[in-house]
Amino acid sequence: MQQASLDTVPERFPPGLNQAPAGIELLRLDNITKRFPGVLALDGVGFDLRRGEVHALCGENGAGKSTLMKIISGQYQPDEGGITYKGEVRRFASSLDAERAGIAIIHQELNLVPHLSVAENIFLAREPKRGWFVDRTALRRQARACLDRLGVDIRPDAPVKSLSVAQCQMVEIAKALSLNAEIVIMDEPTSSLTESETALLFQVIRELKEQGVGIVYISHRLDEMALIVDRVTVLRDGRYVDTRNFADTCVDEIVALMVGRSLDDKFPERTSIPTADVLMDVRGLTRRGVFHDVGFELRRGEILGFAGLMGAGRTEVARAIFGADPLDTGTIRLGEREITVKTPRDAIAHGIAYLSEDRKSHGLAVKMSVTQNLTLANMGAVSNTLGFIDRKAEEQAAWRYIQMLSIRTPSPHQVARLLSGGNQQKIVIAKWLFRQSRILFFDEPTRGIDVGAKFAIYQLLDRLAAEGIGVVLISSELPEILGLTDRVAVFHEGRITAVLNTRETSQEEIMHFASGHGRPAAPGAETT
Amino acid sequence: MSNPTTKAIDATSPTAASPRQPTSDGPQAMNGRMMNDRRKDLIQKFAALAGLLVLVTVFSMTSDAFFSVGNGMTIALQVTSIAYLGIAATCVIITGGIDLSVGSVLALAGVVAALAVKAGAPVPLGMGLGILVGAFCGLLNGLCVTRLKLPPFIATLGMMMVARGVALQITGARAVSGLGESFGELGNGAMFRIVRIGEDGFPDVVFPGIPYPVVLMVVIAIAVAIMLSRTTLGRHIYAVGSNAEAARLSGVNVAGVTLFTYVLSGTLAGLTGCVLMSRLVTAQPNEGVMYELDAIASAVIGGTSLIGGVGTISGTAIGAFVIGILRNGLNMNGVSAFTQQIIIGLVILLTVWIDQIRNRR
Repeated sequence: MQQASLDTVPERFPPGLNQAPAGIELLRLDNITKRFPGVLALDGVGFDLRRGEVHALCGENGAGKSTLMKIISGQYQPDEGGITYKGEVRRFASSLDAERAGIAIIHQELNLVPHLSVAENIFLAREPKRGWFVDRTALRRQARACLDRLGVDIRPDAPVKSLSVAQCQMVEIAKALSLNAEIVIMDEPTSSLTESETALLFQVIRELKEQGVGIVYISHRLDEMALIVDRVTVLRDGRYVDTRNFADTCVDEIVALMVGRSLDDKFPERTSIPTADVLMDVRGLTRRGVFHDVGFELRRGEILGFAGLMGAGRTEVARAIFGADPLDTGTIRLGEREITVKTPRDAIAHGIAYLSEDRKSHGLAVKMSVTQNLTLANMGAVSNTLGFIDRKAEEQAAWRYIQMLSIRTPSPHQVARLLSGGNQQKIVIAKWLFRQSRILFFDEPTRGIDVGAKFAIYQLLDRLAAEGIGVVLISSELPEILGLTDRVAVFHEGRITAVLNTRETSQEEIMHFASGHGRPAAPGAETT
Repeated sequence: MSNPTTKAIDATSPTAASPRQPTSDGPQAMNGRMMNDRRKDLIQKFAALAGLLVLVTVFSMTSDAFFSVGNGMTIALQVTSIAYLGIAATCVIITGGIDLSVGSVLALAGVVAALAVKAGAPVPLGMGLGILVGAFCGLLNGLCVTRLKLPPFIATLGMMMVARGVALQITGARAVSGLGESFGELGNGAMFRIVRIGEDGFPDVVFPGIPYPVVLMVVIAIAVAIMLSRTTLGRHIYAVGSNAEAARLSGVNVAGVTLFTYVLSGTLAGLTGCVLMSRLVTAQPNEGVMYELDAIASAVIGGTSLIGGVGTISGTAIGAFVIGILRNGLNMNGVSAFTQQIIIGLVILLTVWIDQIRNRR
């Protein structure tokens, strides 16, 4: 598999398209510098892309990947440095300008109009016309041709809102092809795809390579890159670090380049010791049609993992315990006391917190400052009985957590929107620490976060557990579950199929229970 | 300008930060940047204020009567109703909502107050009743939005028609007059009014005084500004507008906060109605048509974002005065009412456009 993808010079080209041979330089960026008020985002960065190659751009959050990507796609103009595209020095005044020149970008959050059909989306604002009217037949035919080129089975008439994320991505790619794009930039294309969908995407990427398209590929999932990436360029803190042939390097080396140090362990040494002391005892939780008879114990000082496939009900159970979604039946006990949770306010009052997997839409008030986000769940601690806020106390609290969690922000008054993903995640964590929560549900806390920041968050989870906080870690990444948790509750279709001791289990055993098969021959299972 | 920029670079970029290493700068550096933020904020405010000053200067030059204590008070008095409603509109808009019903609600409240007084109720009680009716309309708006989950635009559009209809119905579409002098006290009285009996025996006004509506406007503006910027309730209002789901998951009572802003809007509309009718000493069921749009315009000119999460009372106050001074000054220069509308419309477009540019990155 890997061999095939490293073969950068394909023998044949489909006629009529991108006739130039692969391996020829398509795009070169020299000495690009970009400043924002207060931040030097890129400092003399170079990058080049050849025809028919996939060139990955790696770096931690805030390393400058997005800025570089936006410069290539014309959204930003560099302050210094030049862009050479197909042998000509170019300056793209806008993304439209770049698009016309054949550079398409597929954003992480896809830009499709949900109520229009696939065909209408592909040719949005460029509809084939007959007189004053849209030529529907031509529209459908041309869309069909684009989709066929990708070899995907999507109906041109299907409304986009009925498609899966992966299919939407295919539509975006089809749209890029319809623009005769010679460069396609993909930002975190696999972050919300399942494994089989990812495989399909990679198949499409290989097709594009064969057709001589150059692809700039940005992803945090380094493991996957081996399947498609030819070269990789690493950025760190806005500076160029190195470019390597993927064949001559390995994931660990790339990570080391990204963080500027070698990462011996991906996971920190666990320091907390689980006790037998039960913090939370959940029994018979049911929400009809979503999850059934879910029960588990959370003990003081432990990290309990929730493993399972997407849609197995892990997030839903956590949200219901937190009061964000309704619950049909079931009991929740904290220590000896049974509690009723109807709204998040009830749960918060009992010291339960839930950190959503979707930070931007559920976790942060992005227009508000770091400080304001930090204190939002615990305004009582920084205000008097009349509700007047003590700004000094608030600022001190913010400052304390900024230092404690090493949140990188120019000031506590910075608007949350302007921080990187890892730092936004830390703000959300800080919010709940400031609320003195005793039970924390972390839902995919490291999704979309780079390696270095991940490690910091792992350390934090361990520290929280060591301080006696009950931590539940919901994660789709099994290494994360195995590397961090003490016990794992495995979900399958809304039920817990097993609770396993992490030390005695394996990736295979967890997958076995997660996919709904009965107990395997392996030992170590502990029944609920 | 170069100095603060370089300073900020030190903190955020390269050397300062391998991810595990704590940020190295302390509270001092933070203070420096805060000042910078504040200064920027001040400059933004100043830009709007400067526009206001330009208006005052231009009108002072084109009309002799414009720049005087008397006219100043007139303008302040004229601005009051836009300001009350604008302040309320600001709170509603910050949560991401809108209240189109205030013009009708103020008419209903004023009419109810007048009818009560006509029926023999003491003036303060009658006006109290009027304000309560306003608050009740606001409550209904809020419940439609939070309980029935109607879009605020629709909920308050409905109320706009209902309240106007009720006001016309209970008065038979006729003005309520003959309310007695005491009904006019709130709208026409003034604090610190100095009147001397001249030598000819006629009263001679030394200082016209500060009209009660102006005093009320200042008090309400300060109270709501403090509420928004210094209290948890205010913080929650911004949080709801910035991201309602995040606010809910942080334990904010989103429905309660939203409801509060509509009740506040209704209450202030009720007060506006009482003040307006008191000024005329007559209650007109047709009063206040299109006032909601003036209110929204003043908030928007003052930098409130219709998407929610952004806005200040000081900005809205400036916005209200921009509209008030434009009307007054153009009147004094003999510009027709139609031309005035055109100019005010253009000013709204211009200020919001400038605001967009300023916020663009």
